[in-house]
Amino acid sequence: MFIGRRIARMILCLIAVSLLTWILLQLAPGDFAGIQEVGGGTVGLAQQASAEQQSGLAARYGADIPGWQQYLTFMVGAVTGDMGPSYRYTHMTVEQIIAHAFPISAGLAIGAVVIAVVVAVPLGILAAVRRKSIWDTGTMFVATLGHGLPNYLAGLVLVLIFSSALNLLPPFGWRGPENMILPMIALAVSPIAMLARYVRNSVLENLREEYVVAAKAKGGRFRTIMARHVLRNSMMPLVTVIGPMFAGLATGTIFVESIFGIPGLGRYFTEAAAQRDMPLLMGSTLFFAALLMVMNLLVDLVYALLDPRVRASLNLTASESDVAAKAGITAGPVSRAQTPQSEAAL
Amino acid sequence: MTTVETNEDAALPSRPRSEWSRRWGRFLRNRLAVLGLVIVVVACLAAVTAPWIAPYHYATLGPGDEFLRTGSPGHPMGTDILGRDILSRLLYSLRTALFIAIVAELLSLILSFAVGLLAGYKGGKIDQWLMAGTDVMFAFPGYLFAVLLVAVLGRSTWAVILALTVGSWVGLSRLLRAQILKMKSLEFVEAGRAMGATGWTLVIRYMVPGAMGPVLVSSSFGIPANMLAESGLAILGLGVAPPMPSVGTMINDGYQFVQSYPHLIAWPVAVFVLIMLAFTWVGDGVRDAFDVDES
Repeated sequence: MFIGRRIARMILCLIAVSLLTWILLQLAPGDFAGIQEVGGGTVGLAQQASAEQQSGLAARYGADIPGWQQYLTFMVGAVTGDMGPSYRYTHMTVEQIIAHAFPISAGLAIGAVVIAVVVAVPLGILAAVRRKSIWDTGTMFVATLGHGLPNYLAGLVLVLIFSSALNLLPPFGWRGPENMILPMIALAVSPIAMLARYVRNSVLENLREEYVVAAKAKGGRFRTIMARHVLRNSMMPLVTVIGPMFAGLATGTIFVESIFGIPGLGRYFTEAAAQRDMPLLMGSTLFFAALLMVMNLLVDLVYALLDPRVRASLNLTASESDVAAKAGITAGPVSRAQTPQSEAAL
Repeated sequence: MTTVETNEDAALPSRPRSEWSRRWGRFLRNRLAVLGLVIVVVACLAAVTAPWIAPYHYATLGPGDEFLRTGSPGHPMGTDILGRDILSRLLYSLRTALFIAIVAELLSLILSFAVGLLAGYKGGKIDQWLMAGTDVMFAFPGYLFAVLLVAVLGRSTWAVILALTVGSWVGLSRLLRAQILKMKSLEFVEAGRAMGATGWTLVIRYMVPGAMGPVLVSSSFGIPANMLAESGLAILGLGVAPPMPSVGTMINDGYQFVQSYPHLIAWPVAVFVLIMLAFTWVGDGVRDAFDVDES
C-alpha cells in the first residue's frame, strides 16, 4: 500500500520533471537547424544541407513533427528504452551514452562513499569515546572545514597540492587509476565531514542509553560494550545517510567531472544543456531524477526493515494500527518491539 | 488593579535584555564565528569598493605582461594569460559573486515567503498544489535545474540570478510553511487572535516575526551557497558572460596551466575557500545562537 503510493507519486514527479525540462527547451531560441549549428553535432551537414536534406535530417531525429508530438514520442521511447540518437553524438543513442557514462560517475561516487566511510567512522567513534580530548576537538574542527568545502573547491585544493606543488598526480584526463584518486577524494571530503559528525553524535547518544548502564552494571568491559552494543546500534542510522549521499554524489559529480575532464554522465549532461542536445538532455535529466527518487525509496525501505519498531508496526494490519492510533496507544507496539532488542543487547 | 500593576513593575529588576541582544551576546562568545564575521565583513567591503581599490580595471589587458608571477612589481598576485591583473580581477569577482548571491537570496526569500505563508496559512487545496510544486522542484537533483536554466537563457548575470533563485526557494518555502503550521497553535498567536487580529494581520504581525529565526539561519547559509553555485556554474562554462570576472571563470581559464602557472588558480581558490569557511563559521554561530534559545 505504502510502497504503491510512493511509486505512483514518483511516476507523477518524473512526468512533471520531463514536462518542465521539455517546456524549458521549447522556450529556448532557435529551431532544429539553428540548434544544429549551435550544437555542432551535424553542423557541417545542417549548414550545407539544402532545404530538402534538412527536412530529411529533421525527420531522422523526429524533429519534423509538432513539439507536443515530439514530447510524447520521446516519453514513449523513454519507457520502452528507445530514446533515439543524440544530436551531438550522432552515432550513439541516448541509452548507449547513459550506459557508457553513468558507470563512470557511479564508480566515482561509490569510491567516494567507501573513502568517506573508512575515514569518517573510526574518526567519529574516536571523537565520541575520547570526548573533549584533542581527538574530539580536532575531528570536529576538520569536520567544520570539510563541511564548508564543496567538492569542486576541495578538488582544486587537492590539484594545487598534489599536481602543482608535489607533481604526484595528473590534474586532468581519464586514462588510468591515477586519474581517479584526486576526484574521489575531492568528492569524499564533504561526506567525511558529515559522517564523522553523525557517527560521533550517534555513538554519544547510544552511550547515554540505559542499556549501557545495565551492561556496565553486569560487569561488561568497555570494549565489549562498545563492540557488541553501542557500535551496532549507532551504525544502523548510517544507512539513511549513506543512501541519499550516494545518490547526491552520483548526480553531484558534474563539477568534478568538468574540472578533471572525466567523461561521466554529469559532463554529458552539462554539454547537452549547453548545446541543446534535446534527446540526451531529456534522457540524462530523467535518469538522474529517477535515480534520486529510487535511492530515496530504497533507503526508506531498508530503514524500515532494519528498525524493529518500524518492522513491528508494518506487521500490524492497517485497521489495527488505525484503531491503535485513534486510541492513542501507538506507543504499544513500539515498546513491545523494543523489549526483545534490549534483551538481546544485554 | 492599579496597585497590582505597580507591584509587578517594582518586582521587575531593570529593563530585560531583548532577545536579539541575548542572541548577539551568544554569537560573540563563539570565537570562530566572530573571526568568520570579520573575514566576511572585510570581503564585503573589498567587493563593494572594488572599483576604487583595485589597481586595474578587470578587463585591462597587459600586452607583454602575460603570466607574470606572484610578487611582480605592480601586480602583487601576478597576471593571467592575457596580462590582466589577478588581484583586480579577484576583487571584481567577489563583487560579482556577492551581488548575485545577495540578489538571488532576496528574490528567493520573497518567493518562499509568498509560497510558504500562503500554503501554511490557507492550507487545503492551495497548500496541496503548492507543495506538489515543491515536490517536483525537489525531484531535480542538485544543480541540474540551474544548469538547464542558464543553458536555455544564455550566459548573463540575470540568468544566473534566476537559476540560483529557482534552485533555492523550495527548501525555504517548506521551512516557512512548517513554521506557520507550528505557530498556528502557539500561545502568542492565540493571544493575538484574542486581541482581535485576524487573517493576514495575524500572519504578518505575529507569525512572520516568530519565523524570522530559522529564516535568518537559512539565509546565513544560503548566501555562501549561492556564491558557490555561481562560481560552480562558471566552472561549467555557464556563468556570467565574459569579460565580467567570476571566481569560477578565473579558475576555468587558468586550469589548463595549473602545473606550469599555479598562481592563476591558487589565489582565487585560496581567497574563495577562506571566505566560504568564514561564512560557514558565521552560519554555525548564528544557528547556535538561535538553537539554544529554542530548546
